[in-house]
Amino acid sequence: MTVALINASPKVKGSSSGILLNDLKECLGNKVDVEEICLRTSKITAEIIEKLKKADTWVVAFPLYVDSLPSHLLACLKQLEKMTWKKPNLNIYGIANCGFYEGNQAEPALNVLKNWCAKAGCAYKGSLGIGGGGAIAVSGNMSGKNSLRANIYKAMKKFADRIVKKEGEANKYATVAFPRFIYKIAAQNSWRKMIKANGGKTKDLNKRLDVELTDTSVNKRIVYEQ
Amino acid sequence: MKLIVTDIEDFDFKIEGEHKVINPQGNIKHCIGCFGCWAKTPGECVIHDGYERTSLDMGLCDEMIIVSECYYGTVSPFVKAAQDRAISYVQGDFIIKNGEMHHKHRYPNTIKLSAHFYGEDITEDEKKTAKDIIEGNAENFHGEFNGVYFYKSKDELKGLKL
Repeated sequence: MTVALINASPKVKGSSSGILLNDLKECLGNKVDVEEICLRTSKITAEIIEKLKKADTWVVAFPLYVDSLPSHLLACLKQLEKMTWKKPNLNIYGIANCGFYEGNQAEPALNVLKNWCAKAGCAYKGSLGIGGGGAIAVSGNMSGKNSLRANIYKAMKKFADRIVKKEGEANKYATVAFPRFIYKIAAQNSWRKMIKANGGKTKDLNKRLDVELTDTSVNKRIVYEQ
Repeated sequence: MKLIVTDIEDFDFKIEGEHKVINPQGNIKHCIGCFGCWAKTPGECVIHDGYERTSLDMGLCDEMIIVSECYYGTVSPFVKAAQDRAISYVQGDFIIKNGEMHHKHRYPNTIKLSAHFYGEDITEDEKKTAKDIIEGNAENFHGEFNGVYFYKSKDELKGLKL
């Protein structure tokens, strides 16, 4: 059995989707063969197709963007929907990671993947919706078992078992192993560090571009149709 | 101001009042998840391809209308790219609202958000997903959900008054 682990984050490195797929790969162990694939752009290349052809199960991992899938992944799914080389009864699982603490905020996005399966003739087998994506991204060097991903890792182990057995189940949700208020504070601190590292000030974080519009040089750049 | 975001290149619908249309004009780049629009140039996407200030358009509008092909219960890649590139309409900081985490508002306006989806074979599941997603968008924009509508083809949209 070959499982394609598809990282659909647009990030070149350090994506939460990649970290979660590494955890899944560890949980799958040597029970299956794995093909690792990155979908970072809107085009499915011949090389990606060759890898996908080998797999009888795909796991699509993606970040939640504006309650849905990233735009490039939607473009890729459209191309894949019509491709006839897909194995019959191809099993599809998803992993969605949200910047929000609650993993279940990814449910509508996972339903998009489910709806794609119905159109593409694939078997949707359920997904994991993961909360606390921002913390996952900074935990890549830690082992999933004992780190702030511990709860997620537990869910991932069960998820891996289902994949190996080709079992379907309702979507499951998990989040990072610390309280929501700490996640909220940590996020606030990280934005403040980032803006300062980029040469800005904390107050810039809530900058409004419409206030700039009183500056006529900026106004010239904004042209509205009547 | 009404803000219309659509994937229709030759968009010529009747729109009452002041408005702006965002539609495909050359290739739109997709979001690369860098968070630059929150922590480098707040409010503006770092990719300069003509779509970097969509979040400002959102900040200036009182109504946002999406007209898009339905992709499995969500918007098309063009509309989605425009949305993804405009996440700085809100700030990176979180707030808790109705027991759920959301991003803090950047602009003081309240957007009435509606969507018109077209496509040959939009299923009932897709319609439900589309409604959930647009409702979720309205919640995350601190706006008001103003309905989702479905059409069997682009032609059926003709006569639509926005």
